[in-house]
Amino acid sequence: MRLTKPTLFTNMPVTCEDRDLPGDLFGRLMREDPSTIKGAETLMLGEMLTLPQNFGNIFLGETFSSYISVHNDSNQVVKDILVKADLQTSSQRLNLSASNSAVAELKPECCIDDVIHHEVKEIGTHILVCAVSYTTQSGDKLYFRKFFKFQVRAYLTLLYYFLFLYEVFLEAQIQNITTSPMFMEKVSLEPSMMYNVTELNTVASGKECSESTFGKMLYLQPMDTRQYLYCLKPKPEFAEKAGVIKGVTVIGKLDIVWKTNLGERGRLQTSQLQRMAPGYGDVRLSLEFIPDTVNLEEPFDITCKITNCSERTMDLLLEMCNTRSVHWCGVSGRQLGKLSPSGSLAIPLKLLSSVQGLQSISGLRLTDTFLKRTYEYDDIAQVCVVCPYLSPES
Amino acid sequence: MDSGEDAAQRPLTLDIAGVGNEEPEAHAPSEVAAISSQPNSTDVLFPEESIDLDAEAFISPQDDSAASGSMMDKLNDQMMESVLISDSPNSEEDDVPIDSLLEQGEDKESLDSKEPEEEKKEDVKEEKTEDMVTANQAADVGAPTPDSPKGQEEKVEVAKATAKEEPIPVCTIFSHGMQPKTLVPDGFQPTLVKSPSFSSGTNETPNKLAPLVCQPSPSLSKFFTDNGTVNPASDFFDSFTTSSSFISVSNPNAESPKAVTPSECQLSSGSSTVPSAEHQDAGTPSAYFSIGPQDSTPKPVAGPAEPAATMTTLQAVFSGSDDPFASALSLSEVDKRYDAWLPSEETRRVLISVATQQVNPVYVERDRLSMPGLKFDNLQGDAVKDLMLRFLGDQAAMKRQVLTANSVEQNFLGLKQLISTKNWRAAVDLTGRLLTAHGQGYGKSGQPTSHTTDSLQLWFVRLALLVKLNLFQNAELEFEPFGNLDQPDVYYEYYPTVYPARRGSMVPFSMRVLHAELPQYLNKPQESLDRLHSMRSVCEKILTNLEEGLAEDGSMMTLTQENRQASIQLWRSRLCRVMYSMANCLLMMKDYILAVETYHSIIQYEPQQRVQLLSGIGRIFLQIGDIRTAEKYFQEVEKTCEEKGTGPAQDTSVLMNKAFVYLSQNNYAEAHTCFSSILKIDPKNPVANNNAAVCLLYLGRLKESLGQLESLVQQDPALYLHESVLFNLTTMYELESSRSMQKKQALLEAVACREGDSFNTQCLKLV
Repeated sequence: MRLTKPTLFTNMPVTCEDRDLPGDLFGRLMREDPSTIKGAETLMLGEMLTLPQNFGNIFLGETFSSYISVHNDSNQVVKDILVKADLQTSSQRLNLSASNSAVAELKPECCIDDVIHHEVKEIGTHILVCAVSYTTQSGDKLYFRKFFKFQVRAYLTLLYYFLFLYEVFLEAQIQNITTSPMFMEKVSLEPSMMYNVTELNTVASGKECSESTFGKMLYLQPMDTRQYLYCLKPKPEFAEKAGVIKGVTVIGKLDIVWKTNLGERGRLQTSQLQRMAPGYGDVRLSLEFIPDTVNLEEPFDITCKITNCSERTMDLLLEMCNTRSVHWCGVSGRQLGKLSPSGSLAIPLKLLSSVQGLQSISGLRLTDTFLKRTYEYDDIAQVCVVCPYLSPES
Repeated sequence: MDSGEDAAQRPLTLDIAGVGNEEPEAHAPSEVAAISSQPNSTDVLFPEESIDLDAEAFISPQDDSAASGSMMDKLNDQMMESVLISDSPNSEEDDVPIDSLLEQGEDKESLDSKEPEEEKKEDVKEEKTEDMVTANQAADVGAPTPDSPKGQEEKVEVAKATAKEEPIPVCTIFSHGMQPKTLVPDGFQPTLVKSPSFSSGTNETPNKLAPLVCQPSPSLSKFFTDNGTVNPASDFFDSFTTSSSFISVSNPNAESPKAVTPSECQLSSGSSTVPSAEHQDAGTPSAYFSIGPQDSTPKPVAGPAEPAATMTTLQAVFSGSDDPFASALSLSEVDKRYDAWLPSEETRRVLISVATQQVNPVYVERDRLSMPGLKFDNLQGDAVKDLMLRFLGDQAAMKRQVLTANSVEQNFLGLKQLISTKNWRAAVDLTGRLLTAHGQGYGKSGQPTSHTTDSLQLWFVRLALLVKLNLFQNAELEFEPFGNLDQPDVYYEYYPTVYPARRGSMVPFSMRVLHAELPQYLNKPQESLDRLHSMRSVCEKILTNLEEGLAEDGSMMTLTQENRQASIQLWRSRLCRVMYSMANCLLMMKDYILAVETYHSIIQYEPQQRVQLLSGIGRIFLQIGDIRTAEKYFQEVEKTCEEKGTGPAQDTSVLMNKAFVYLSQNNYAEAHTCFSSILKIDPKNPVANNNAAVCLLYLGRLKESLGQLESLVQQDPALYLHESVLFNLTTMYELESSRSMQKKQALLEAVACREGDSFNTQCLKLV
């Protein structure tokens, strides 16, 4: 028998008032019912444990527990009983028996009991093979096997989205595809050696306590999806060598621990998540500093970092073109000087916005005077432009 | 006249011959009367329809023996009717049924006892004849407007309200109602109350009953006779409103319902089909309400003399209602408190117009009325017995003895007996019979009817039992005609004549709760929530009214401080009950956030349930798998318990919570220890016993676990023959051995000796 967690018995309160026809009959029946909560009979969730009614579903990452009982139904004493429980998956065969030693004898109406556990790590058909060998009184060696077949299914689906800026943002989408709610005990990203990770799943509210973005309860209803967001920043030693972060890089792995009914536990760890770093071309422009909110028609500062990702030295010229909403302050067509390979320089820039709302910063042009090649940088960042006069009260 | 009378007699005798015992006699007349009344009236205008109606009434599934007789009756009755209509003075005869109805109560079987009464009646006869005159007048007046029974009703009301300013419009039915008023209590009441004949009421044996049960009226007659209490009518209709039996004797409210109800019944049901109903004089309406006329047979035989006698009884019965004012006063505060409800705007308008006599109830559109009827009948068996037949053989099955609807008194006492012995299926059957007697039987759905306090209570019990039996679909079907329990005809105001001065909802609050909860069991939790929310807002509105110094319904009525407090308390507890239902519903929907919030908010209303509620919330978190939050709640429980001081109850709940936490941490050994230590405090705690056994299984100790559960079931079957325990036990039997069947059958035998027919056999896993 598979031992999933027991369930709590729920009773169905049907009540009446004293003046009603049954008088206190219904109330008495409910009080006498052992499964109700004394003093609060209308509370549906009782305390009585009931054993699992059927095999149920088993999902990847869960622990498969089973009760193995060998009962002597005959009226003979049998000897040298050996019980073996193996789990056959599509790829391997595991021995789950706690002990491999034979039991000397088993009297009629007695039984050998064993509870086995196994954390399921494969999807697909699993077969539990229970083999029992024993010797009868007459000395015959007998042997029988029983098979229990079950399917392991995936508990959740995972989807990833990457967003590359100077940092890498990882959004993991976790969907509960079972029929029961699951409590996400832990969802964490273990970054690879190149990155530091910041979890963006809490909102700092007040002083110390940070509130989860998922609300008060950390459980996932069936078919619910939840996004976990992580920000990965390259460690300084790697960040220096901007050119290193190219091509395929390993980001890290997700570790998910969940619990369901009465603490039934499941755990999944993904394989290393990899990502293809986008090509930056020859020159990479990233933002070192930018305010998130600025006032309308007031100049603000940003700091750009220009990195030479090519193998040669560049001589750069910076041009700034105004767009409809963003106006650059300062001289356009500035010479930035020579930049050696992997070298970078930071340039403070000033600009203002004439339009409210979320504005995209565009219009930077870098020209390599050696190759006469122009690189355009549009939509490098966004700022929120607000009008300071709109809320005079504050 | 005579011919009519003969007609009435004939079927009677037929019946007697057919059934061969006294009971049939008793109800035979009723049958006759019922039939007679209808065809009479319909005959005049809508013969076809009337026939339809009757046919249906008598087709009602169980009814067969009476059918042939009834057809004859019909013919006869029609003849009789023609006579009746033609000459009004003779209307006296028609009174017979109603009188008999009343009389029946006092002496059903003992004819002897009647005679003295008759004498008395004769004394009163003069008065009565006066009444008759008015009745006749009424009949005459009624004649011109035969097609509007409503009109008749209206007149009745007017008559009542305006205190006989216009004697002419008084319809016969009402003249009955009125008569008592004119007639001062005539000392008959005591006789009625103490009538020796009542002693014989209970001696009817189930066997005798059996054949009768099939028919509506017999069961009812049963009902009346069995109760052995003062007033049969009040017994039937008011017996369970708490103080009822007492009130019903003295309180006109209690009595009048029954007498007038028939009329209402007839009116409303007949209204569409039997427009000329008002022609008939007093007797018929009650007669139609077949309950009434089951008086002992001799009466109809007695002929013309009879009416006089019966009339007096009638007066006697009604004597209490002579003073409408008194009745208004006697309407207890308690009634008002419990019945208060806020109808929807639309319904309120109808009720107001009925109360102010702008609209006669009969004019209210049919689709705005609730017209309930049984949707299924005699479905109920005994699953335990079926299983015994299948697995243990006939002989063993023979041993199974449970109460059935036939083996108890056909009244509320019997019903209660069935419920308390957990024979809910039989109880459902019995409610079906009682409702059939009330004219809301099988196939009656959609036909106009009138409600009484008791008929709605019967419905409530029936539906509650269906829900308890998990027969949700059936419950839903039968609930359907009630709509949202807000039709005008489920309010007392709709029956100003029957329940003068009584206000509020006839539908018991618990029935509303049941109605609201039902959809959630049918996978329509949203509907449940909608209903519960509207109930909640009504409760809150009523509480606000009370706090603002108004009456429950918002009217400017002064309540004494005491009553106000009691009322606030009642409505708080009701609000609480609704909140519980909402939380339970949310829990079923797995909307744990809201469920927890709702449970939490109940604590403020029911601080004494704090420990249980917090523990419950903790368990919800455990169910989700959130052990940490659960522990927080459990800590709060501990704190509360410490404040309360340590008692066994507190220790138990703290230990229980601990055990669940261990369980969730897969630490079955510690969990088992906790459950065991609860047993040291409270060795009989069934939950701890069962849970400890479950833990043993997870520890690989099947035999011990089984041993524990088995000994529990043997030692204290009352406590442990519970679904969940048996389920665990059978599950372990299956695990233990391939020969689990025998052990399960042994369990079945244990169940058979103790449990009623409502036992859920699924937990035995025999099939």
